[in-house]
Amino acid sequence: MTTPLLDVRDLTVTINRDGHLITALDKVSFSVNPGEVLGIVGESGAGKSITGAAIIDLLVPPLKRTGGTITLAGERLDRLSPKAMRSVRGGRIGFIFQDPMTSLNPVISIGRQLCDTIEAHLKIGGEKTKRKALEWIERVGLPNPEVQFRRYPHQLSGGMRQRIVIALALCANPALVIADEPTTALDVSVQAHILQLMRDLHRESRASMMLITHDLGVIAKMADRVAVLYAGRVAEISTVGELFNAPKHPYTRGLIRATPMPSADGEVRLDQIPGAMPGLGAVPPGCAFNPRCFKAEGDCRAAIPPLTTEESAAFSCFHPLERETA
Amino acid sequence: MLNYAASRIVQTIIVLLVISFIAFLLVANIGDPLAALLSADATVNERMELIARLGVDQPLGTRFLHFLGNLLQGDFGMSYRTQDPVANLIAERLPATIELAFVSLLITILVGVPAGIYCGVHPNSLFGRFIMLISTAGITLPNFVVGLLLIAVFSVQLGLLPSFGRGTVVDLGFWTTGLLSVSGWRAIILPAATLSTFQVAFIIRMLRTQLMEVGQSEHIRFARARGLSEARIWYVYAIKNTLLPVITMLGLQLGNIIAFSVVTENVFAWPGLGSLFLQSIQAADIPVIAIYLIFVGLVFMIINLIVELLYPLIDARVLRRQS
Repeated sequence: MTTPLLDVRDLTVTINRDGHLITALDKVSFSVNPGEVLGIVGESGAGKSITGAAIIDLLVPPLKRTGGTITLAGERLDRLSPKAMRSVRGGRIGFIFQDPMTSLNPVISIGRQLCDTIEAHLKIGGEKTKRKALEWIERVGLPNPEVQFRRYPHQLSGGMRQRIVIALALCANPALVIADEPTTALDVSVQAHILQLMRDLHRESRASMMLITHDLGVIAKMADRVAVLYAGRVAEISTVGELFNAPKHPYTRGLIRATPMPSADGEVRLDQIPGAMPGLGAVPPGCAFNPRCFKAEGDCRAAIPPLTTEESAAFSCFHPLERETA
Repeated sequence: MLNYAASRIVQTIIVLLVISFIAFLLVANIGDPLAALLSADATVNERMELIARLGVDQPLGTRFLHFLGNLLQGDFGMSYRTQDPVANLIAERLPATIELAFVSLLITILVGVPAGIYCGVHPNSLFGRFIMLISTAGITLPNFVVGLLLIAVFSVQLGLLPSFGRGTVVDLGFWTTGLLSVSGWRAIILPAATLSTFQVAFIIRMLRTQLMEVGQSEHIRFARARGLSEARIWYVYAIKNTLLPVITMLGLQLGNIIAFSVVTENVFAWPGLGSLFLQSIQAADIPVIAIYLIFVGLVFMIINLIVELLYPLIDARVLRRQS
């Protein structure tokens, strides 16, 4: 078994709301192996983005990391000083933001933003920085790098901006890339291009990736393994093939069945999961999914099921689904 | 960029023409220049001669063109009150006001901008809150109260600074300046500080609000996620987003000080345009008031033009809105 590049154990994030502590992320554990793409899926509010932000200590108050360990290549990130954390951000962990319309500084040129980021991490300067910036503009597939270098974000389309966001996240050659819904804000046709670009860049750099998305289609295309989050807890982690073919957690199966996929005769069948995910602070006792689960029994309401590891997969359920024999 | 500059300049000229026309109507319709300029025992012939010389028998349009022509040649008409050319009256007072305005702008920039940035970057710090408390006073206290307080403390109690006048002025031929002598600088401190009180407080509050808002934005978070230093994030990435409204306000305030520092000039017996304006209103000296009106328009338009020509250097998006 390989040593993971990133290992997250019992990561807990809370919100302090007028003195009441509300748990947003409850003892989340997972790991990312070198060169691997780990997908993180879940509904809105399941804690996907919080997980990403917590790793590089970029939580927006009142969110606060209150427990757990984060280890990157043997180094404890949760114990780093703010200064040391800054060199991790962008340097060893690149972060791709969701909305290219708001994540680029509107009054600073593309070239300047790239050069500043490169200079913050790599010990190069002047012409070399510029050459590297131009190289990255070209690598993310924009024509005429010299022209783009001088342009401002408003002169680029959404897809072009997201390419720049990717260049900004990757330009210091990080070992791990966290992509937080990198295609959600884009047109479907542009989405495909950006995914292809991320795949190509991943193949070239062999950096590990944490791909946060609510889109199982994106997961199927990109990820090696998947962690399913529900109400701030890990429901299931397994390889992509295993997850789609033999989900263990009833929630995972519900999520897969709720994704529109045409069957052989062209019909689209959707099964929705009854009810809605509990909001912050309203998580029921026991398994968070029990009120919506068709397999829920007394023990599900009594205790939180621990994350059980079984071969390459792990799940937190007392009554896991059996492999369906079709 | 050239298109942008040209369109701004054309707009400026059009507005100035409109202001000139309003000022002209003022001169043409209020008061009776014949009564003001003729002696009581003037003959009908003298009267007819003056009418012809002033051109008051001509149609309105012709007279306006004539008025504009005179303006362009530097002939601003005669004051009813002093019988002096208006141009001389204004030229005499202008340097005092302009110098006062620029020194107070300097204070605003040197004090208000750093303090505002500090409050925006550290909104919850003790010192930041202290600055905000002081600035509330700066916003609410009227100018004349601040002036009187400063006089009471620095002139009367401590005897450090003079409470009136410009001190020793040096005549440069086209400009009389108080900024070349120690007494001139001592004299300008209190009135300039009085004028800048409001501006400083205003700029602090504005910069603070702007910076706090920009500090929350996604692009600043992304800059943090890329590991840029806090100094670069605040002093380059965030500040540049707040500059547009700040320089707009500074420009407008500068215009305000030049045009409407009447109260402060009065408190400190500052021989500037404000006091000339006040005297002219009291004497219903229409030609001076009209020219003053045009002058104020000119000052605002020029400052605005400069500010607008600065915009594209700060934020390239301005040019897109044009096309």
